[in-house]
Amino acid sequence: MSDTFSYLLMAWLDPQLLALTALGTLAGIYVGAIPGLSVTMAVSILISFTFSWDINNALALMVGIYVGGVYGGSRTAILLNIPGSPAALTTAFDGYPLAQRGEAGRAIGLSTVMSVIGGFVGVAILAATAPMLSDLALRFAPRDYFLIAVLGLLLVSTLSGKSLARGIFAVALGGVIGLVGMDPVTAQGRFTMGSMNLLGGIHYVVVMIGLFGVAEAFYQLHHLNTIPVKQKVDKIVPSFNMVTKYLPLSLRTSVIGVIVGALPGTGGDIASLFAYDHAKRTVKNPSRPFGEGAYEGLVAPETANNAAVGGAYVPMLTLGMPGDAVTAVIIGALVIHGLNPGPMLMVETPHIFWFTVGNLALANIFLLVFGLTGIKLFSKIVELPKAVLIPLILVLCVVGTYSINSNMTEVYWMLGFGILGYFLKVFGFQMGPIILGVILGPLLDETYRQAMSSVGDNLGEFLLALVANPLSLVLTSVITLVLLGNTPAKRLLMERLSRR
Amino acid sequence: MDNKPDKLQVGERVFDWLLLLFSGAVFYHAYQITGFSSINSAGAFPIGLSLILIASSITILAGHRRKQKPDTQGALDELKAFLHQHFPLNVLVFSALAVAYLIAIEPASFFLSTFVFLVLAMLFLRRGKAIGSLLTAAGAIAVIYVLFTVVFRVYLP
Amino acid sequence: MLKPTLSSLAIAITSLSVAGSALADYPTRNIQGTIQWGAGGATDNVIRSLTPHVEEELGTTIVLTNRAGGTGVIGMNHVMNQRPDGYNLLFGAENPQLYPLMGLADFTYDDMHTVNIIGQGLVVIATHPDSPFEDFGELLEYAKENPGELRMGGTGAGGLPSTVLAMINAVDELDIRDVTFGGDGPGVTALLGEHIDFMPLSLSAVAEQIRGGRLKGLAVLSDQELEDLPGVPPITEALPDIDAFLPWGPFWGVFVHQDTPDDVKAVLEDAYYNAVASDEFQQFLDDFGGAPLNLSGDEAQEYLDNWQSVTAWSMYDAEAETIEVSPEELGIPRP
Repeated sequence: MSDTFSYLLMAWLDPQLLALTALGTLAGIYVGAIPGLSVTMAVSILISFTFSWDINNALALMVGIYVGGVYGGSRTAILLNIPGSPAALTTAFDGYPLAQRGEAGRAIGLSTVMSVIGGFVGVAILAATAPMLSDLALRFAPRDYFLIAVLGLLLVSTLSGKSLARGIFAVALGGVIGLVGMDPVTAQGRFTMGSMNLLGGIHYVVVMIGLFGVAEAFYQLHHLNTIPVKQKVDKIVPSFNMVTKYLPLSLRTSVIGVIVGALPGTGGDIASLFAYDHAKRTVKNPSRPFGEGAYEGLVAPETANNAAVGGAYVPMLTLGMPGDAVTAVIIGALVIHGLNPGPMLMVETPHIFWFTVGNLALANIFLLVFGLTGIKLFSKIVELPKAVLIPLILVLCVVGTYSINSNMTEVYWMLGFGILGYFLKVFGFQMGPIILGVILGPLLDETYRQAMSSVGDNLGEFLLALVANPLSLVLTSVITLVLLGNTPAKRLLMERLSRR
Repeated sequence: MDNKPDKLQVGERVFDWLLLLFSGAVFYHAYQITGFSSINSAGAFPIGLSLILIASSITILAGHRRKQKPDTQGALDELKAFLHQHFPLNVLVFSALAVAYLIAIEPASFFLSTFVFLVLAMLFLRRGKAIGSLLTAAGAIAVIYVLFTVVFRVYLP
Repeated sequence: MLKPTLSSLAIAITSLSVAGSALADYPTRNIQGTIQWGAGGATDNVIRSLTPHVEEELGTTIVLTNRAGGTGVIGMNHVMNQRPDGYNLLFGAENPQLYPLMGLADFTYDDMHTVNIIGQGLVVIATHPDSPFEDFGELLEYAKENPGELRMGGTGAGGLPSTVLAMINAVDELDIRDVTFGGDGPGVTALLGEHIDFMPLSLSAVAEQIRGGRLKGLAVLSDQELEDLPGVPPITEALPDIDAFLPWGPFWGVFVHQDTPDDVKAVLEDAYYNAVASDEFQQFLDDFGGAPLNLSGDEAQEYLDNWQSVTAWSMYDAEAETIEVSPEELGIPRP
């Protein structure tokens, strides 16, 4: 027991580890904030960089970058409507309207505090229930992942604004974009039109940067002479009352975040979408309507995506299986440092587990410190004249896109998506459902086919499996309830009843 | 968005017809993958998606009947209004600059082309203020260089 | 030890002859490395632990990017389309040797220059601990009585499981449901959760799980028991005829554009030779469950040709569905 404590506090007491965690968190915030620079990329670079270091030092830096990076994506989402990473997508929905109201500082402050709360819930659940949670995660069969993806698709009603038909079109469009490239099962090209360049698919960050960043830049060009909103920079740190007011919501969305994060194959991006949807369904009287700057719309995804970090470590530390792309790279780091990530990791080297837990908690404290400083300077970005800001946004989009794969073709795609996004926006389409489709399309396709192959391509057996297993039955019931409660079916039923 | 829900926007009908056309093309390409061979094939899911695209774009088009037509006389007039609304001088010049910038990146190196693009775009959009634009562009380049090239070692052309 | 001396001599000569040209001081900037498979996979782990040693040799940074997908075609195609200046390396596994056979692409490693064949992995057929099968023979017997019922984890056309399945089918009969995952990682996760019945995997991906008792080894693809994995019988016990294809395993290599200048190729070959030979990396490879090869030049070519011919013909004889042309037509000789 005393060993456990000393491992837990190791990072807190050693000045070098303390400094590395702090440095990592600070660097992570900027990595996350810049579209195109991803945490996965930064951690991969660190592997070679920290090769000769002590394992604890290397891990401390990586944990810091991970925690800071997941949070950092919200910065550009709030300030420029460009999510720095897919996990910050939903943060833009209410964060950007807040910045346009002059509340950028407050939005960043709130998102920081909420990220830290989410982060701590994630760490707590990781520390308390890791083995249990990992057993739960293993129970998810391909058909359950398929059901999760279907559940995710139902978010379209939350994201599509006024016209559901347009939302459905947008999701399907996103799905098609997501499927472009080589089929993972048979290796045939899909929607590639014979182009070798498209065999690798279109990276979803390219789509996101184009649809959000460039489309927004074009849109703003029409309003060049509007004077930027003066940012209120007084109440940056959210009041105690405000934090307690949103605490119940943030705890619920944290749990969503941890569970989605713990499932291998789903991460912070899907967690934040579910959390946003949850907020929109459960909060009856938001501070403002969702999509127009509701604080609740900011709280939910921000807590969830940081809680997902703790979740992603669950299968990694208990089974040696990655919970997301970043933990996959960290597993590589452990291997290179001579450790054996696997079911025996917690038995043979328990210090790695407790050290990571303590370090994650520490990184969240640094996140609070660094997240709340420098906000005044950051929120001034929004006050730049549009004529300066717009060219800068375009350059940022270009660098961000290019740095993903060092591929100029993708930069042209990004510009193309920007122009497409502008017109879709003009004619009443929302960007959210498109990204939803890009993220979920391939997941749906893959899991559907895994589930189908598992039952020998028998449709009857496939459908039976969706209700015959406890976990699948729960998911199927949730989907049915959501469908009945949120689609025209309910309205039609109500109308019919009232007519009688 | 300041579009009124009960009135069609200029160009909306054409755009939505184009979406239907696009959906048809997606169906064609999806069908090319494996045809209707099996419920578990590379083409099954794409075909499903394309059918959703077709159905939803037809629904969108059907929704037009409930809306008022835009106040334009004839197709030519609508085209003019569309161009006027979405392609003012600012957008045209900026787009041209952006495309020229992308083309120039590989032959002319990233930093040079970015600098020239930033200066020209700011000069144009601000109608002057040369010194400010030069300084901002130089500052932006410096930040990009430090962050991407020095710290994160991202290769830029 | 002749090889590195020769190559360093070659560098000395070429750098003299092109003195003043920029190439002589290769590398002058970061090198882009493309990994054909996803982060956290076997290829990824091998390359990421080798790279620091190479960076030390070359005195530059190698920026590694994972470009998974399409059985590696995407990553390889990317590198082949880059400038042949030695600043783009491909880190790949065995799959490209079968691309033309499966109609995936019309190129193989023959269309690139082999810098180094780093090492070779071993294959284990694994199942979950609750499985009723104790060895591969029992599984085979069950599958014959219940064809098309067992679920095998796969990684797509041309992936390791599909190749192993083809080898088995070349000498016996195994009719299963192929459930495709994005790589070893997701496949092992599904196996741990008992959502599939078995999966051929590289030893490195499952050695820890088997030692920890979370998975059970049914057979190793070898003709004798492994020292590192006691109690897991060799596959030849259940399938003596498969011996003809052994030793067989996935391999990892480093490749560069064919048109890369010779002096750059020499610098790379030299650096990789030394890096792979380093004690630390050899130790890693051993822990990882791989056998070192460290081949370049003609030796590497011979290894690649032999691997291709053994695998291609076994798949052809098994009448694997994914085979589109006969190896004969592609000029691959019978082993």
